Amino acid sequence: MSEKNTKRYLPEGKYVMMGNVAMAEGALAAGLSFFGGYPITPSTEVIEYLAKRLPEVGGSCIQMEDELASINAVMGASLAGAKAMTATSGPGLSLMVETISMAANLEIPFVFCDVQRVGPGSHGPVTAPHHNDLGLIRFAGHGEFQVIALAPMNCQELFDLTITAFNFAETYRCPVFILSDAYLGHLHEPIYIPPKEEIIKKVINREIPQDDSKMYSYKNNETGEYIIPKPPIVGTDHFPITSLQLPHNNLGFPISNALMFIEVLIEKVNSKIDEISITEEYRLEDADIVIIAYGLPVRASYRAVDIAREGGIKVGVFRLITVWPFPDEKVRNVVKDAKVIIIPELNYTGIIAEQVERVKKRETPIIKIPKVGEIHHPDEILKIIKEVS
Amino acid sequence: MADLGPRYPTEKPDHPYVKFSFGGNLYGNYSSLFCAGCGYGIIGHIFTRVFEDEKLDHKLYPLIIGIGCYTQIVTIAHHKSQKIFTLHGRAPALATGMKMANPKLKPIVFTGDGDCLGIGGNHFIHICRRNVDCTILIFNNSIYGMTGGQSAPTTLYGAKSTTTPYKTFENRSDAVKLALAAGATYIARTTVAHPRTLMKYFKKALKHKGTSVIEVITPCLTYFGRKNLDNLGAENQGLTGNRMDTGGKMIDWIKRNSVKKNQAKFMDEDELFNRYVIGEFHYDNSKPEYSEVYSKIQKFAMGDD
Repeated sequence: MSEKNTKRYLPEGKYVMMGNVAMAEGALAAGLSFFGGYPITPSTEVIEYLAKRLPEVGGSCIQMEDELASINAVMGASLAGAKAMTATSGPGLSLMVETISMAANLEIPFVFCDVQRVGPGSHGPVTAPHHNDLGLIRFAGHGEFQVIALAPMNCQELFDLTITAFNFAETYRCPVFILSDAYLGHLHEPIYIPPKEEIIKKVINREIPQDDSKMYSYKNNETGEYIIPKPPIVGTDHFPITSLQLPHNNLGFPISNALMFIEVLIEKVNSKIDEISITEEYRLEDADIVIIAYGLPVRASYRAVDIAREGGIKVGVFRLITVWPFPDEKVRNVVKDAKVIIIPELNYTGIIAEQVERVKKRETPIIKIPKVGEIHHPDEILKIIKEVS
Repeated sequence: MADLGPRYPTEKPDHPYVKFSFGGNLYGNYSSLFCAGCGYGIIGHIFTRVFEDEKLDHKLYPLIIGIGCYTQIVTIAHHKSQKIFTLHGRAPALATGMKMANPKLKPIVFTGDGDCLGIGGNHFIHICRRNVDCTILIFNNSIYGMTGGQSAPTTLYGAKSTTTPYKTFENRSDAVKLALAAGATYIARTTVAHPRTLMKYFKKALKHKGTSVIEVITPCLTYFGRKNLDNLGAENQGLTGNRMDTGGKMIDWIKRNSVKKNQAKFMDEDELFNRYVIGEFHYDNSKPEYSEVYSKIQKFAMGDD
């Protein structure tokens, strides 16, 4: 075991890494031991890199025959006790949604890296970013359940948030997505890798359950709390006798009350929103123009705010790191005194703008800055800020 | 498991293996959910019996089940088996992941003709190609039973189904030939009319290291038998045959319609048309197993060797 661990963690220090590689390193640091993938631009570097690195730490990286197989292999590996993940892009995600639904039902923890590219369709500018998949991810698969989506904005965060994503997957037993994109995935940036001990302290490990009575999440009727037990592992003494993909109780036995089951799947995440929701406020103290952003547009927004502040414009950025579940309360507080909300998003529809629309006051206007296939220039955001101030 | 009392107290006599089945363990005595005349009862029973007789460690043999009528085999499969229900057709892919994450396990995949040769055909080909150590049982009842009798990739030529009300005009796919071409290392075909042979093959497959594929021909009385004659296509030719409307007739038809591999050598293609060739087709224990090869790669990468 010690032999395996020596290669798992890179020595502490500064590195220059590609986004996809940083993500893969983050996954390794978080304890990844199975990767099932299928090559798709722009996520291919993840499988290429892990194919080399995972055997070094005693894990397996398999190139499956298609995306359907890769995500199902990830399910199998996760059921067998491995921390597992896959990485893909838009068309691959479309193929995988059925299994995401299964994972949600059986509460199989896994991490999903979505390196987004321009859609719809399977061709076109595949190396250009387009934050279009969040619309699919939040309702991915048939049935109702809740997922967690994290949006990093630089290579350092790709490393850090991947560890967080694995911890979320272990804790909440729901599909966890990392929303990278074609530019971020291919960006080379300096990153700092903390010492091994520090990483180990952060990581939540998979434990073998010691109790037969709790296999799946349930609601404690006395306290009203949602309790999420440790995921069961095949080949150990404690595994649910049935793992039927039906509405089931905490033992895995089918129940007729599907509403109760769905409630648990959704509320086990929603009730912990304070712990899940990670956000960042940038020069927001006295801002009356609020920019809400996630992912790459945040970087342009920060720069635009810095320039605007020099000109005396009171503007700040509210950044969503946990994009989904959407932190209603936090955003409501932030936008309640805002004169104008600006939302630069790398898509046309404005998936997050739609959510902000829900929680803002009726009279506060929203200005969307849509962009597809290219990233925002700070000047574009600055121009809008100057127009509205 | 809590004793819920016998479910069918008087209907069925005590059976020595019933108490080891999932439902039997739960209720004391159990009648399966299958139609009268279905062959899955035999298969589930053989599964339970092999595990009980051989005293196999259930934890090492997770049961991975696809989607079809046979999903209900869990109610008569051994109660200690760890059962994982997968998506339609994806069982082989899930088994690959499970095997790689924990090479001690030997997954047993229950899959059907529609599951394995239809929607999951690709996964089946690739698990055979990789030679992942697992046992795949393909239950071929020539029809989609659970959804109500639609035509399957294995439906015999001339047979009627709800989606081919006139006759099936497509060529059927052959799981054995597919597995042979894909590179599985133990391939056999038998029928539920030959339960002892099935038991023998199943035991052999469990001992084999590599992908073993056993196709089991099983009757679907409700949707296949009642709609078809025992000489398929006879209606179109103006001939008369007997409708296979009881379990006995179907088992009889399966027996008459299957040809032993040794006999088949002397028969031409016309004679073998719409027939099942049964027997062991391939056994090769020299081919390296996938997870073993990969563990060598791991050792090399770790710098241990």
